[in-house]
Order: sequence, then C-alpha cells, then structure tokens
Amino acid sequence: MNIERDAEGGFIFSDVEASLAAMFRAIPSAADPEGSKAALDRLFPDPAAGKEAGLSAEWADYVRPELREGFENASTTVEADLEPLNAGEDGWTIPRDHIDAWLNTLNQARLVLASRYEVDEADMNRTAPYPPESERTLAVSQIHVYGLLQECLLQNLE
Amino acid sequence: MNETQAETQTEIALDVPWNVVVHNDPVNLMSYVTMVFRRVFGFSKEKAEQHMMEVHQKGRSVVWSGGRERAELYVQQLHGYLLLATMERAI
Repeated sequence: MNIERDAEGGFIFSDVEASLAAMFRAIPSAADPEGSKAALDRLFPDPAAGKEAGLSAEWADYVRPELREGFENASTTVEADLEPLNAGEDGWTIPRDHIDAWLNTLNQARLVLASRYEVDEADMNRTAPYPPESERTLAVSQIHVYGLLQECLLQNLE
Repeated sequence: MNETQAETQTEIALDVPWNVVVHNDPVNLMSYVTMVFRRVFGFSKEKAEQHMMEVHQKGRSVVWSGGRERAELYVQQLHGYLLLATMERAI
C-alpha cells in the first residue's frame, strides 16, 4: 500500500492489497455497536460511574443522543470516502477535512471490536501467533491495522 | 432544617469542585489520547503527555477540576473522542 499527501493535506492511498482492502471496507460495519451491550456501554459510558443517579439519567436523555449522532455522522463520512474501494478500485482518498471523522470512526471500530471479542491489554501486547481462521483472530488483526492507520494520520497531522 | 440552612447547603453543594478523570483503556493509542488532551484542554504537548502517561501507568488521571457545569462539558467532549472519562466530587 502506498500513502501520499495531496496538496490540501489529505491522504491518498493506492496499491492497497486485497486483504487490507477488505479490512478497510469493513471499518463502518466494525464501528457499529448495535447488538453488543458491552460495545454500547463502552461507546456511551456512564459519566459518573454509577455514583450520581441524577447525572447518569440526564446524560442518557440529553447527551447520549448527541454523541450517537456525532459517531454516526463520522462513520457516514468514512463510508462515503471508501466508495472507490467498494467499487473495486485499489485505493481511496481521505480529504484533509475528513481526517477527524476518520480518527473517530477508526476509534469506534477498535473499541467496538475489543468489546465484542473481549480483547484486553494482554491480547493487545501479545506477540505469539493467534489461532488461525477464528473471528477473534480477525478482530485483533483489525484492531491493530486500524490502529496503524490512526497512527499514520496522527503523525502526519503534526 | 430551616429554609436558610437548606439554601446554604445547596450553595455548598453547587460550589463543590468536581474532578474530570480519564481512565486507562487498552485500545486507545497513546498518541491519540495526547492529541485529545491538547485539543480539549489546550495542554502543552509535555503536559498532555504527562497526563497520558499517568493514565497508562496508574490507570487514571485527574485532568481538570472545577465547577460541575464545565466538568460535564469536558466529559462530554472526551466521550465524543471516545476516551473513558468520568466526573467525581473532588471532596
């Protein structure tokens, strides 16, 4: 995979290998927490850790919908940027003003995957090979690949 | 309790400072957490990295203390960036 910057500060990805392309195409679906209580709890944590019932209730009513809307908007932006990859091309572009949406959606995806598959610190630091062909192995690989893309975007922002 | 006492207690409750706490998370990248601290609180790179390392090594870091309304605003911003943040009474 090649990564270049465009004149406006965006990122151009090209020559993306098929296996990586499949992982990148899966970012929006990986970021969707529905169907997993653990993932929903992680994306929308209690601001008072259960110690302030009134605050937690207000938060659920007023803040959580705003957060949800922000996450969904970011994911929609990413999905639109990935359109060339979904159409069979071997690359895509992240415009400069979409970088925050990408950072956010990549983080959503990593957190949702980690919650769904109960990935912990030991998993994240593990160097021994994982059992092949399991969904959990794929999830850990996705978390690492999405992290590398996040790191690339972050380093080039400075 | 008479009315004056109740009002005084309410004023004290409103004046109690709140801490904004960020908790460790095995998934969030250190560089990402540092960037968020700089953006949300306007920290220097050094101060943001100090708090990030405190989160990583000690499991939590108090990143801000002050009034409840502003604490709520900061926690909302941190949740928007998907950091694991809570607020708690400072005393």
